[in-house]
Amino acid sequence: MVRHWKKFELALLLLMAMAAALGAGAYAAEPERATLIREDSLYASAGANAQRLSQVGRGSALTILEHSTADGQPWLKISMAADQEAEVSREVTGWLPAKAVVTGATANGDQIIFGQAVDSEHQAEERGGRKGAAEDALRLYSRVAELFPGSPLAAEAMWRAADIRWQLARTSFVRTGKPMEEKYLLAIIAKFPQSKQAELAAYDLLESKLCQEWRGQAECPQKESAVYEQYAREHPQSAKAAEALYNAAWRQAALTDIYRIENDNAKSEAARKKATALAQEIAGQYPQGDWKPRALDLIYKLEKKIPIYGAFIE
Amino acid sequence: MLILKRTLLTLCIVLAATTALAADKEHGTVISEVTLFVTPDPQAQKLGRVTRGRDIFLMDHTMVDNKPWAHLLAVVDVDVERETMREISGWVPASVVVTTSTPNGDQIIYGEAVDSENQAEQRGGRKNAADDARRLYYRLYEYFPSSPLAGEALWRAADILWQLEKADVRRRPSSREMSPDMRTPMDDQTLKLVIKKFPHTKWADQAAYNLIDNKLCGSWKGETKCPEKESELYEKYAREHPQSPKFAEALFNAAWRQGALVTMYRTQHEQDKSEKARRKAMELAQEVAARSSESDPKLADWKPRAMELEYSLQQGIPTYDAEADRK
Repeated sequence: MVRHWKKFELALLLLMAMAAALGAGAYAAEPERATLIREDSLYASAGANAQRLSQVGRGSALTILEHSTADGQPWLKISMAADQEAEVSREVTGWLPAKAVVTGATANGDQIIFGQAVDSEHQAEERGGRKGAAEDALRLYSRVAELFPGSPLAAEAMWRAADIRWQLARTSFVRTGKPMEEKYLLAIIAKFPQSKQAELAAYDLLESKLCQEWRGQAECPQKESAVYEQYAREHPQSAKAAEALYNAAWRQAALTDIYRIENDNAKSEAARKKATALAQEIAGQYPQGDWKPRALDLIYKLEKKIPIYGAFIE
Repeated sequence: MLILKRTLLTLCIVLAATTALAADKEHGTVISEVTLFVTPDPQAQKLGRVTRGRDIFLMDHTMVDNKPWAHLLAVVDVDVERETMREISGWVPASVVVTTSTPNGDQIIYGEAVDSENQAEQRGGRKNAADDARRLYYRLYEYFPSSPLAGEALWRAADILWQLEKADVRRRPSSREMSPDMRTPMDDQTLKLVIKKFPHTKWADQAAYNLIDNKLCGSWKGETKCPEKESELYEKYAREHPQSPKFAEALFNAAWRQGALVTMYRTQHEQDKSEKARRKAMELAQEVAARSSESDPKLADWKPRAMELEYSLQQGIPTYDAEADRK
């Protein structure tokens, strides 16, 4: 009996050891992901005297393969996509000094990456700021949400990354006509529904419904006014609700002029009434901030028949 | 009795005439760019263009073809590029004129100023829109001094002027000189007016923050005295304006300059000074992180920025590129 028990214990111990080994294997197979908060060189081996392979930008998505020490400093062997912007890219591996690498395990890592992202965003906005700073900010914000999905900064970081991408895509669209990708903004709405970031993303998306040029035609401002008003009705708590309503009112005011030029006085008057009603709604609902005076200025211009659309063209 | 009645009647007529005259002669501005005509007629000879926010003096009204016209004494641009102007009288459509007696006149001028400011920020926005905004904001303060919008308007007028001057100064070669005394300082009159007229307000705090610009080095050229002095200036500001919307930014700027000094002193092999600067930078960064409220979106970004600076200092990551600054 005792012998049987001993056999059973031995089998159990073996089983437990196997399970532990399997678990450890599985854990080892889980790659440690990280990013860089300062641009650095990728080296062929650990050590500052090794051959430099390429530059690694802030916010690059890294996978840590190995840890080492050289010259008394910690080094990391990493693999990364050679082209960080491409959806499919060849992988490159090399060594980085560990000090500027932030992983999911770094204490306050979310705040640190977010802080560098804000810094890069400021650089991008400054005259003579660092080249490629907007792209750095975009990547860094993206990494916050990826490496720290449970962080209180995750939604804001994901929104800022998508917004920067949207602004860059808009510039590219104006230059080359390349269509703007909506998937990053849509991802925020899906991941953080009913959040202020989702509402801001929905507002950005309205841009794809706007005409490039009105060419004096009523059709465009008519459609755009409806798009903005619908947004304001559907997102009354949004930080962009007052702006959307003002945009709707301003387009109706422009229609007043467009219809008057076309000698369609009935439609002109209807547009004037609609613009006034929307502007009054803004003045009543948003008494704080800049939107009330802007709405009152619009109402005054409509009352005094001061051209809105003509003045804008001028 | 008859004499008394006559006297009263004469008095009433005189009073009415005086009131009418006073009502006619009002200060104000225009909220849309208009042409000034010799007579109240769009076919009449044109005298010039009156741009938004120009100071006008309303002298008379009349109706022509059922449309109201206003007779003004206005400042008009003679040459926009050379910024030459002159005072001239003429007629404009009255609809664009906003005076001290216009109901909600302060809100209307402010709204038009915000609109112009937005135009100035837009790519391809209206030319000279920033100047329009600056003038409109100033007119509001000037003609509606007791409006709840007056403080904000004067601050915005002063800030726009400051930013325009700053951009102008940066274009000059003297802007790269190390000492601030080597360049023409920006005109601080309007900022000082904000501090004088609205003391102990957020507008005065912000105006005082802008004034620091005049004391900053144009370029550090790798010298430690510039970041030392600038760090002091920013910290002093933060200590003297703890309620300012610029408090966290000022303290971060002080910390960042101490962070730069760590690298600069290390390069000069002054380890003690480098270590002292590192400790000071850490102290300031920790204070920024602790005092930046996450609930205020304008301040929320300073906490992560301070924590990133703290982390960089802990890891020995340089926060300042000395080589780039010397170029």
